Amino acid sequence: MTARETEWISIPMTVDVPYRFAAGRYLTKTLTQLRDNGRIFAVECPRCRRIQLPPRIVCAQCHVRNGRWVELPLEGTLVAFTIMFLPLTDPTTGKPHEPPFVYGSVRLDGCDSVLDHLIHAEPDRGKVWVGMRCRVVLRPPGERVGDLSDIVHFEPLPDQSRPGS
Amino acid sequence: MDDLNQYQPFEVDQHLTAHGNYWAGRAGSRFYRALRDRRRILGSPCRNCRKVFWPPRSICTFCFSELREMVEIGPLGTVETFTLVTYAEPVHPRPAPFIYAVIRLDGADTGMAHFLDEVEYERVHVGMRVRPVFAPQRKGNILDILYFKPL
Amino acid sequence: MKRNVAIVGGGQTYHRARRHDVDQAEMVNEAVRAALKDAGMTMDEMDMVVLGNMEFFEGTHMTDCWLVHATGAYGRQGLKITTGGTVGATVVCAGAHLVASGLCDRVLCIGFEKQEEGDTGAILSGVANPLWGRSMAGAAVGYFAMMGSSYMAAWGAKEEHSAMVAVKARQNARKNKYAHLKLDITVEDVLNSRMLAWPIRMLDMCPASNGACAVILADDKTAKDRCRKPVWIRAMETAHNEQFELDWRDVKTKRPIFSKVCAGRIYGRLGVSDPKTYFDVFEIYEPATWAELVWYEDLGLCGPGEGFRLIEEGKTNIDGPIPVNPSGGVLSTNCIGASAMLRVWEAALQIRGDAGGHQVPKEVRRALTTAYGGTNWTVMIALSGALDD
Repeated sequence: MTARETEWISIPMTVDVPYRFAAGRYLTKTLTQLRDNGRIFAVECPRCRRIQLPPRIVCAQCHVRNGRWVELPLEGTLVAFTIMFLPLTDPTTGKPHEPPFVYGSVRLDGCDSVLDHLIHAEPDRGKVWVGMRCRVVLRPPGERVGDLSDIVHFEPLPDQSRPGS
Repeated sequence: MDDLNQYQPFEVDQHLTAHGNYWAGRAGSRFYRALRDRRRILGSPCRNCRKVFWPPRSICTFCFSELREMVEIGPLGTVETFTLVTYAEPVHPRPAPFIYAVIRLDGADTGMAHFLDEVEYERVHVGMRVRPVFAPQRKGNILDILYFKPL
Repeated sequence: MKRNVAIVGGGQTYHRARRHDVDQAEMVNEAVRAALKDAGMTMDEMDMVVLGNMEFFEGTHMTDCWLVHATGAYGRQGLKITTGGTVGATVVCAGAHLVASGLCDRVLCIGFEKQEEGDTGAILSGVANPLWGRSMAGAAVGYFAMMGSSYMAAWGAKEEHSAMVAVKARQNARKNKYAHLKLDITVEDVLNSRMLAWPIRMLDMCPASNGACAVILADDKTAKDRCRKPVWIRAMETAHNEQFELDWRDVKTKRPIFSKVCAGRIYGRLGVSDPKTYFDVFEIYEPATWAELVWYEDLGLCGPGEGFRLIEEGKTNIDGPIPVNPSGGVLSTNCIGASAMLRVWEAALQIRGDAGGHQVPKEVRRALTTAYGGTNWTVMIALSGALDD
């Protein structure tokens, strides 16, 4: 075969898909409270008593309707984290998070679910640890939009040090 | 749960953007090279089924045999069906209104969907004989044929 | 199962980062022809075709329709399945259901992905709720990195341990002619590779591959009449995690985790008390090194917190007592829609003794495969070479 015959043809394409997403009544309550009052509400299963965030209508484990609302404190514990060196694009804004940054999973006190978010800590393994206490930092009132980005990040609570250091 | 009713239903408008690059492969690349470089339109014959397929392919849809040969089809063809598109969509490659037709190229057993132009819609009919108008600068995609027009 | 189901043939493409010489149809057709050839059957003998891939991962939708000539589904019954990374195994389960129920005698199962053509990250972000988590989505690397940090904090494992998994996978891949990443690497090389998301480095992650796999399932009679070395599907199980609760990475969680739940169920069906001696080989779905260590524990190959000891002691090497992923696994080849089916096909090859360069050097009677995908769920399939075993 000649070089011409082995030229493989391709065509670039970009697909832009618009969509409208409805939060539903349960998530609407949590997002509206977060936006308007800076408070975080989760929901409790009447059977297993698990406190679930984001709230959903049915407890997946017990198959019963979740009922009681529980306000969570804005403090929690880091259960897992990473120091991200890749410039991840936020698919909802198209803007990248500039690396390196700390990204982790926080369990708000009293909650059974964890929340993945940015951790405002130095991207240094010696300064972030599993078990670190953190608190929610919110966008200022009036600038909140009603999604998870109303939480800017978690920040470490002061006056703590890594165990064993 | 009554207090849920005090919240206005919350909705967001967002979009997902995805980029891609489609590779035309063995039969497809050969088709696009011939179109771009020689203004020839190729189809894939299956000697077993006595069919000539467009778009070209490496496997016969009917008998599953491997197709390695390609033959020239067209460039003249016959309108099999057509419509006038009068609404606009972001995915349309042309502004409305435009005429969209399925054209069976001479020698092929399957039709090609493409545009008709240089013709009044009222004059278009099934069975109308048409020929392709090639783009002066061809890039190796199906718009290397700009449109078909009546003989 | 109402009727026994056997794998009577299979095949795969060579897996590569670039396949510009074929379109999706031509690539899928390579695996289909290989499977038919292996089974000594023709397309006309297939009652049904089940196809799986991830919607839009290669920028195309409804691949069951427009690949119909290449899959051989034209004029036959067809089914399309999309379940995430599990899809290849879900396709096999669906095919097995069709045969076991008596609806079909012979089913062609296909999984593929041509990853280079699409935008996997963008489409994957669609898995997450737009209002709760999508802004940080598309980060499979971050997820497994958190699993790594949690694992090290919980059990005292070191980054060297995950690096050992990376080395084992790529050294095994060198023995597998179809594998994508055949790398002659050491623990040092892994630790020196580019940091993506601490503690995950480039060599801790799976590649993005192009490729396809196909297997042919058949009933008892076909298997006994037509197949010299049928491999029997003995049990299948699936288990999901709960939406929003991605707690596989929280290795000390008390919650029921899909992986442990599923293993418990499939062992219960088969009466397995000690999986590491019951099964002779494992083909598991490990998109990242840390996931393999967690799988060891969740599958009960060792106790909690002992997974990193298994790799350290070489127990899961190809010539070890508990061989895991002699094929090189997902860490060496990840054409997503095919990856979970490759686990099943590779396990079947081990039982047949046909794995070639990466055949486990001991008698292989039974194998267990796992899949992983979606927002944390798994499909497990247990295979054996004899129906009475």
